[in-house]
Amino acid sequence: MNNIEKAELIVVGGGPAGLSAALAAADYGVNVILVEEREFLGGQLVKQTHRFFGSEKEYAGTRGIDISKFLVEKIKENENIKILTSSRVLGIYNDKIVTILANNKMIKYSPKALILATGASEKFLAFENNDLPGVFGAGAVQTLMNLYGVLPSKKILMVGSGNIGLIVSYQLLQAGVKVACIIEAAPRIGGYSVHASKLARMGVPILTSHTIKKAVGKDKVEGAIICQLDSSWREIKDTEQFIKCDAICLSVGLSPLTDLLKQANVKTSYVPELGGYIPLRDENMETSIKNLFVAGDVSGIEEATSAIIEGQIAGLNVAKRIKKDIDNQVKIEKKIAEAKDELELLRAGPVGEKVRNGLKKIGLDPLKNYGEKVSTEEFDISFLMKTGIPSKENLKKKLPLSEDVFNKGPIAISECFQQFPCDPCVKSCPFDAISENGSINNIPYVNFEKCTGCGICVSKCPGLAMFVVQKNYTDSTSLVTLPYEFLPKPVKNQIVLVLNREGTEICEGTVKRVRDGKIQDKTTVVTIEIPKEYFLEARNIKVDGGQKHG
Amino acid sequence: MKNRASVVVIGGGVVGNSIAYNLAKRGVEDVVLVERSFLASGATGRCGAGVRQQWGTRQNCLLARESMKVFENFKDTLNVNVDIELKQKGYLLLAYSNNELEQFKKNIKVQNSLGIPSKLVTPQEAKYIVPDLNTDKLIGGAFCPTDGHANPFKVTYGYSKAAENLGVEINKFTEVNEIKTEKGKIIGVQTNKGFIETSKVVDAAGGWSQQIAKMVNAELPVYSERHEILVTEPIKPVLDPMLMSFSYNIYCQQTPDGSFIMGYGPDNEPPSFDMHSSWQFLETMSKKAVWLLPPLNKLRIIRQWAGLYNMSPDKQPIVSKIKEVENFYVACGFSGHGFMIAPAIGVLMADIITESDLTYNVVLDIERYKRGEIISEPSVV
Repeated sequence: MNNIEKAELIVVGGGPAGLSAALAAADYGVNVILVEEREFLGGQLVKQTHRFFGSEKEYAGTRGIDISKFLVEKIKENENIKILTSSRVLGIYNDKIVTILANNKMIKYSPKALILATGASEKFLAFENNDLPGVFGAGAVQTLMNLYGVLPSKKILMVGSGNIGLIVSYQLLQAGVKVACIIEAAPRIGGYSVHASKLARMGVPILTSHTIKKAVGKDKVEGAIICQLDSSWREIKDTEQFIKCDAICLSVGLSPLTDLLKQANVKTSYVPELGGYIPLRDENMETSIKNLFVAGDVSGIEEATSAIIEGQIAGLNVAKRIKKDIDNQVKIEKKIAEAKDELELLRAGPVGEKVRNGLKKIGLDPLKNYGEKVSTEEFDISFLMKTGIPSKENLKKKLPLSEDVFNKGPIAISECFQQFPCDPCVKSCPFDAISENGSINNIPYVNFEKCTGCGICVSKCPGLAMFVVQKNYTDSTSLVTLPYEFLPKPVKNQIVLVLNREGTEICEGTVKRVRDGKIQDKTTVVTIEIPKEYFLEARNIKVDGGQKHG
Repeated sequence: MKNRASVVVIGGGVVGNSIAYNLAKRGVEDVVLVERSFLASGATGRCGAGVRQQWGTRQNCLLARESMKVFENFKDTLNVNVDIELKQKGYLLLAYSNNELEQFKKNIKVQNSLGIPSKLVTPQEAKYIVPDLNTDKLIGGAFCPTDGHANPFKVTYGYSKAAENLGVEINKFTEVNEIKTEKGKIIGVQTNKGFIETSKVVDAAGGWSQQIAKMVNAELPVYSERHEILVTEPIKPVLDPMLMSFSYNIYCQQTPDGSFIMGYGPDNEPPSFDMHSSWQFLETMSKKAVWLLPPLNKLRIIRQWAGLYNMSPDKQPIVSKIKEVENFYVACGFSGHGFMIAPAIGVLMADIITESDLTYNVVLDIERYKRGEIISEPSVV
């Protein structure tokens, strides 16, 4: 009965936070047991086909699936890490024994430290008929499509416009599913504007101040009734409308998966800004129970980049406690400080405000070093955040001051108007022509003097917000280079339909060049020739037999 | 919350609610019940949900039989529309030694004399009642077909509803911090939600009853002890009666929803207020249960938890006033079988508080220990 195995560190959860925590500790010689409930590592990363935002250092510009592959590879190479997949942690008992169900047997460990990186679950929404087949969570839809290759439906209504709602809508379009519309109860789009703009230029309507009233259908979803909300979130009379669709996808937020923490009697607090009940913890990610750490969404809903850094902080702190030689201590201290800096920087922009407010509620100072650098929104993006379409004023600020600049040749145009932490455009430019003025949270600007219009940045921007325009290609035509992520891919000399930022067809164009190499990494860079009058309007294409629009 | 009460009942378990209801039924007005958490949050909601009449002492048998009458007619007796999920498919007590079998024979005599329809069974008969039973080493058993299961949450809820219907005020999430006395007399109860002026207090605080009594400087001869329990996933009905073995110290039943609830009496468990679960329990319990009912080895465990037995010296309850403070009443020391006799306990306590003759011929006063009138209950897990 007392066959209890000793262990230095048990990491629970093989998602981004758990993977990075295991690596951070194992790099300093800590013996790690990494426990994952599913049969594979990677967590939610394995279905994230989009490129990540954030800092290049933390894999920004790389697709989630590739980050997962990279981290898992490193984990598998590391001989200090023992991987237990298809294994479920059952309990953390008062005597610090951890029980795990593996191969239908309950095994017991007595670890020196624990890091819980159990992630989050999707929230649900109450409305009439919400139990009809065809009502999905966005995460489930993403799993069906991207992991198992199963189409969830033919036409979907997306409820919720946070980053997950926007990203999954885009991926649905990529898979050939029509998106009837995206509705958002708040008066403002919840996710990043660049994600919304990608959908807007595909003609998908985003309806803010709208909610779902009921699902319609007999045996499965055949449609939905939505309505408009006033500023007090009350239904406005006579605004009901029927949306025809065969699936409803809910993307209304995440709740930290704190069950195991609660079982272990970790102190928790209800913080709506961070998704609900979260464990109280210090800046080293240690909970109210000594040597029990948390990382990632379970400690408060954020995104994968901060989860990775939190994992590092937790893993490094465990290493510091277990590996006591002076040399290591100094190195680890330095790394912890760097990781904390990076995390603060990530949260320092306007989009980090909610998370910062949440962290303050549990007694943390999320901006110890960056307090003075917090910037407020540089542009008035209220129209953009309502529609996904940038206003004329927004656009004007990112265009050259003088028309003459267009005469010098091809130049890059950055259509990024919102301040959030992201820097792949800056880091990818071989001519150092894009700058964020010192902070990853600032809006990037193109230095048109330095820019050669090479188009490298077009496939690097995770928000697909970089374009190259060459106004005077011929007397009557211009060239526009844009990112394209649909099948079939256009071929040279093909005639394609050209769309503006609202998804309206404005003209036809001829494909002049298709760049689809390793560097583009599946974000095809397409150059089209179009009538000159549209060079500042043409931002999307429709390839025959290709993308289905909203 | 009322700031005056004729009686304040401390404890929102099944006993506290039964007492409050029975007081109101006798016409006592302004009864106030306080519970520091939710109703049935203590031992009641953590118990094995069994209701049995097969006891070893005459008075436990009597209390259980009278309580069973209430469970059988719950809606009509209490005038509430609450289904308590009563399942009368019996208790099958297993004997593995001659001593045990002899004890069962003695018990059955007492039970039968009170009209409880229990009988001795052979291992073959036991196998007939429970086809999945491992009869290895089994030499016999006792079976009472009218014993069974009731939902402790529903019973507690039913009593609290019935009490409220009669004017009792039930205050949840209200913790007693102090019982104020003056010259040996109670003047009120200080809670975290305010002060309640009263002259009478009933301590029905289960595992914490000795702590409540300390507020009036009374020492109760009881202590609390952790007992653990688990529940499995639900499957189709395969086990009719509650199975119980005193020598293996285990009980196991399938509830009406199909899940199995099981527990065992711990060895060397120290007195404590500890309600944490242990992995040791999981291992031992599953081995014991699978030995007893081999098909259980395919079942998944859904949850484990622990609760407190409030243990008295003779494993029989104390339902009594106390000498130290006037009008301080205790209902404690249920030693793991409070739920199934709670209906009768409420009646008894109402008798005591209203200074009426006892409805049942039982001796449960606290002074019995000094008098030496102790008959220890032999049939406890």
